[in-house]
Amino acid sequence: MTSTVERETLDVDVLIVGGGPAGLSAALKLSQLQKRTGGEPLSIAVLEKARETGAHMMSGAVLDVSALKELVPDFLDRQAPLASEVHEDHIYFLTPGGKLRFPITPAPFRNHGNYIISLNRFVKWLSEQVEAEGIDIFSGFAGREVLYDGDRVIGVRTGDRGIDKHGQPRDNFEPGVDIHAKVTIFADGVRGNLTKELQRRFQLGAGREPQSFAIGIKELWEVPAGRIRPGTVIHTMGYPLNTEEFGGGFVYAMPDNRVFVGFVSGLDYVDPMFDPHVAFQRFKLHPLVRGIIEGGQMIRYGAKALPEGGWNTIPRPYLDGALIVGDAAGFMNSMRLKGIHLAMRSGMLAADAAFEAVNAGDASAARLKRYETLINASPIRKELYPVRNVHQAFGHGFVAGFLYAGIAMVTNGWWFDRMTGHAGQDRIQTIARYYTRRGRQVPEGATQAVKPDRQVTFDKLTNVHYSGTRHDEDQPVHLLVHTEVCESICGPEYNYPCQRFCPANVYEIVTEAVGNRLQINASNCVHCKTCDIMDPYQVITWVPPEGGGGPQYDGM
Amino acid sequence: MILVIAEQKNGTLNRASWETIAIAQQMAGGQPVKVAIPGGAVGPVAQELAAAKVAEVVRIEHEALEPYTPDGFTLALSAVIGQLAPQYVLLPHTYQTRDFVPKLAARMGRALVTDCTAFRPEGGALAFARPMFQGKLVAQVVPEGDAPHFVTFQIGAARADAVVKGDAPAAVTTVPVTVARAAIRQQPEAPFQEAKQAVDLSQAERIVAVGRGIKSQENLELARKVAAAFGAELAASRPICDAGWLPMERQIGSSGQTVAPKLYVALGISGAIQHLVGMKGSRTIVAINKDAEAPIFEVADYGIAGDLFEIAPALIAELGK
Repeated sequence: MTSTVERETLDVDVLIVGGGPAGLSAALKLSQLQKRTGGEPLSIAVLEKARETGAHMMSGAVLDVSALKELVPDFLDRQAPLASEVHEDHIYFLTPGGKLRFPITPAPFRNHGNYIISLNRFVKWLSEQVEAEGIDIFSGFAGREVLYDGDRVIGVRTGDRGIDKHGQPRDNFEPGVDIHAKVTIFADGVRGNLTKELQRRFQLGAGREPQSFAIGIKELWEVPAGRIRPGTVIHTMGYPLNTEEFGGGFVYAMPDNRVFVGFVSGLDYVDPMFDPHVAFQRFKLHPLVRGIIEGGQMIRYGAKALPEGGWNTIPRPYLDGALIVGDAAGFMNSMRLKGIHLAMRSGMLAADAAFEAVNAGDASAARLKRYETLINASPIRKELYPVRNVHQAFGHGFVAGFLYAGIAMVTNGWWFDRMTGHAGQDRIQTIARYYTRRGRQVPEGATQAVKPDRQVTFDKLTNVHYSGTRHDEDQPVHLLVHTEVCESICGPEYNYPCQRFCPANVYEIVTEAVGNRLQINASNCVHCKTCDIMDPYQVITWVPPEGGGGPQYDGM
Repeated sequence: MILVIAEQKNGTLNRASWETIAIAQQMAGGQPVKVAIPGGAVGPVAQELAAAKVAEVVRIEHEALEPYTPDGFTLALSAVIGQLAPQYVLLPHTYQTRDFVPKLAARMGRALVTDCTAFRPEGGALAFARPMFQGKLVAQVVPEGDAPHFVTFQIGAARADAVVKGDAPAAVTTVPVTVARAAIRQQPEAPFQEAKQAVDLSQAERIVAVGRGIKSQENLELARKVAAAFGAELAASRPICDAGWLPMERQIGSSGQTVAPKLYVALGISGAIQHLVGMKGSRTIVAINKDAEAPIFEVADYGIAGDLFEIAPALIAELGK
């Protein structure tokens, strides 16, 4: 059917796929460059799969404003929504019932001059700055496939609308549009579906370390007055994770008794029964967190994967006709737990390179390589290079990682040019290896599962409700799964880990007379991408659902 | 004076109009309440509305108001509202209201508060309760600026049978309006229905809903019998419709229908919040579930913690007596 429909074509100079911090910064920077040089205005389009910009944005988040200061120097006058300046930093090592406070706050964790933000609100504001420049943001349109001319990227095709769940067109069928561009900037976020395709086709990761990911799960709470001072930033290590697991918790306090509570779990865990959502519940039950949130109300929930691998895992970010920016490329500092400023700066540098290429009438990889040169000369490298091995060091356990991180900090990262790592998701072990052969009892449910009390802890299904996620129900399932693997191999070997790593109850094993069947509750999906990363057989492919579907992260 | 804009389609009154009239009566505190009914020919509907204890029922009739268009309604209603000069204009928060009322309020330059569930006095004015974050928080909104203030009320915010009826029918008057066809920019097409909707659960007075506890498709027959015994429509929670045991149009909850019947019987439904938001406005909720800690019991008026396969036949037998 798709071959016979007539599609509209739109021609632009620069197409930006993804309206997050990286994509929008690229758009804004392009228009600034245009103004400075004058001449024929560039045509720029931004595609965003959310119904409105910012709705799929979720992060901690503490913002380092260095890139914002350069992009929008008068951001305070323009009322950028910065919830609170950071006043206090606390780091704790948690034990099951207690906490040890770090006597000093290590430099990477110092947040003086940074701001606690809702990334959803911040990106919405950024999109207003972009639209004020006359740039079109097509929200509600997802990039579905990359368009090529030979091996040159020439644009993106948006997803069809109005396809029913059997793949047949409905009355409201509208074919996707082909958007052709001289330069396409891929800003499709962590494990972006289009960037993933580019990486495979052009082996952009060759000679680099494999990417490692984590999943962040967060709730927005309204807590009783007086529990925590606005501007307080708390980070934790230790409990509920064990020393073979990477991750930690955070509590960020904003004005009006609103508090972000979240937990990041490395997707390089080895226990097949581990569930990141359970770790988050355990974290909330710890006296440190419970004392802040108990008696309050959870008002929002969300989850998102994040690229943790660092400098050595960033793929080649340029190719014929295209650039890759932000989380899609892995510009994140897992040591500082920050990536928004790097995403923004990578977008700005990509804009520089794209602008020059369009004006020169040459968008070849040879010319777009300038983007990489710019990154190498920028604060991005200055910040990421010294800590390039930290995440890989944590692959050897918490103690090794912690020691290495300390040494890297003190020595500015001279040690080891490159520490090799494995793709984090490959570390998960089978039930037999992790449990049976070691004489361990396989737990009934997830490891350390918590019975939700519906006050402080919740089940996934309840949480999903508070993500505001919504999809048109009558559309094909957007999680392409080779289900024949489920019962025959994955069940016996890993005991259906999709039920646990998905934070949104998308994957459900239904026991029927004929055996177990995987039920995919696709409309629960919060677009975190964890399944695409984490399933042991790499048989889950996340593709964008019909444009506009997904979470509504208001205030997250 | 408080003016309620009632809604009709092809001469049939939308029953949510009664709910809004009930709210207007509770808000009035001595002020007169009037009800306006716009449309092409609304005589019989106006007579029906006149049963309520209100000062007046106002027919706003014009051939250009049939079929409905947002331009036509905005032109006619802004003229009538300007003439009647009410303090508040109340509307049921229907699809049609959602379509034209923002335009109408903007045209008249007046405040609009949408999708409210209640009101309360607040420093000499009225504050309207507006759920946010899917009902987790409730904002109290006090409209400012010149009257009239437009307020729309969520379906189920009041009970239709709470309307105070008058001893004698209220006066029915007609306010002449002029609506130039040329000023209407929309060209309505025939109403579009994506699928044949065999049932409209939102209009059902009694609903029996089944969930996962029913275990198999064959057992649905039992649920059907319970529904028949109550004279109720059969509905379901999501897993049942996902499994294809019942059509999607019978699904209650955030991805299905929202209902507020007089009686809601939940058979083997645990009460995930996605289901609760679709039925918690029901007047009387009866829950039968074997897990006594299931969240459905938090909203149920009557709960039986037990095996539905024992209780349902007993219910049927008892109702048959």
